[in-house]
Amino acid sequence: MKSVKEHLMFILPLMAILLGVEFVLVFNRVTSNYEEKLRESYTILVVSKSPMSLRRFRRIEPHISSVEAISKERIARQIARGIQNTKTQEILAALPHFYTLHLDRYLSRAAVEKIRKKLLKVPGVKKVETFGENHRAKYNLFLFLKIVFWSFVVLLSLVSFFLIMKQMEVWQLAHRERMRIMEVFGAPMLLRSGVLFRIGITDAIFAVALSGGLFAFLKYYWAPRSGIEILVDRQALLFEPRDLAILAAIAFTLVISAVMSVTVRSGEVRE
Amino acid sequence: MAANVITASHLTLAYDQGRKRIIENASFSVRKGEFVFITGPSGSGKSTLLKALYGAIRPLEGTLKVGGLDMGKIRKGKLQELRSHLGIIFQDYRLINEWTVEKNVVLPLIIAGYSMEVQQTQAKRLLRHVKLTEQADRYPLELSGGEQQRVGVARALSKNPFLILADEPTGNLDEYSSNVIWDLLENACDQLGSTVVVVTHQLPTMFNIPYRHFIIESKGIYEVR
Repeated sequence: MKSVKEHLMFILPLMAILLGVEFVLVFNRVTSNYEEKLRESYTILVVSKSPMSLRRFRRIEPHISSVEAISKERIARQIARGIQNTKTQEILAALPHFYTLHLDRYLSRAAVEKIRKKLLKVPGVKKVETFGENHRAKYNLFLFLKIVFWSFVVLLSLVSFFLIMKQMEVWQLAHRERMRIMEVFGAPMLLRSGVLFRIGITDAIFAVALSGGLFAFLKYYWAPRSGIEILVDRQALLFEPRDLAILAAIAFTLVISAVMSVTVRSGEVRE
Repeated sequence: MAANVITASHLTLAYDQGRKRIIENASFSVRKGEFVFITGPSGSGKSTLLKALYGAIRPLEGTLKVGGLDMGKIRKGKLQELRSHLGIIFQDYRLINEWTVEKNVVLPLIIAGYSMEVQQTQAKRLLRHVKLTEQADRYPLELSGGEQQRVGVARALSKNPFLILADEPTGNLDEYSSNVIWDLLENACDQLGSTVVVVTHQLPTMFNIPYRHFIIESKGIYEVR
């Protein structure tokens, strides 16, 4: 019972860190996917007296990735609805050129405002509409979620790290005498800490398997049945096989650091 | 003439970075195969000297050579190697309580990487030698003090060490158990040819082989026999 408790005292904080890392991985994938969707749907409208090309726009602002000219005929037809055909031709001649611009990434409100000012300085450009309010609301919500999430993960990792350190002290007390005796008889450090490595690596394997298993369960079982749109739509992003390798690398690095710290702190037989 | 196993020349040992001097300007040597008793009052520095012999403290001044290695300059790897050729016995036994008697006995062989077969053969031989065959699978805390110290002696002998260092090996034992330990140490010196250095507050009443006797007094080490 005592042994199970000792294992859990290490496995649980390690799992908390691994779950935090996995949440970060999933969150990054989901947010970059969401960011991509926002970027795709976000456009800037430019009204210009003279015709403009993508090359020209990109010279002004490299973040502009594509340009679509809005058909003037359609606009003219809508304006001239019920007016004589000759009038439509006149309206068409008088109308400026309309363009919708797409950006290569989702930019902050300030960056978009800079682009707007740059475009307005171009001769012939009469109006630039960045749909700022809509953009700002989405962007701020996005930013808020990121900050809240990261704060949570950092806090969780810190608390877990302190719990691991606490468990290290327990290990140190439990194994110091054995390690000292072995050192007196000439055992090298790796042999002295062999038992700790075995315990630590076993615990790490458990922690990785449980964390990975939990996310696999969320991805394949829970998410499709959850009815939560963002999860159902992005089910594929919830867990990837390479995440297991990342979690294992982190867990083993933590275990090795922890064991080394215990071994070194157990002290040599020197006074 | 046998080579010196231990050579101390103008040796000073101290704690607290030299502030607390325990032994000052001591010179002595111990030849291969000798049995040496070091006695002295409590706090005189007997255990400190023994610690210096297995490298737990470094000399502050002078030189101390063990098996030809300068303990003041010895590197970590060499020290580990030296310790693996020593047999060390402690007053408080220092057995690993989570390990069986048999595993404790072969600790030096485990460290040296001997095969399981060699370990088992050697454990059987040593446990027979210290009359603990029946206790092989028990744990140290299930044994009496005398039995635990016999396990400590068996462990010290397991790799046929060239030097056995014993710190008050009978300090916690009754007369019968003490005599058993002395017999085992006599035997190690006489039959196996190990050099034995024993730190003790009192010489045994019965001792059957020739020995040398040093006293530590007023920070000096003096040979009295």
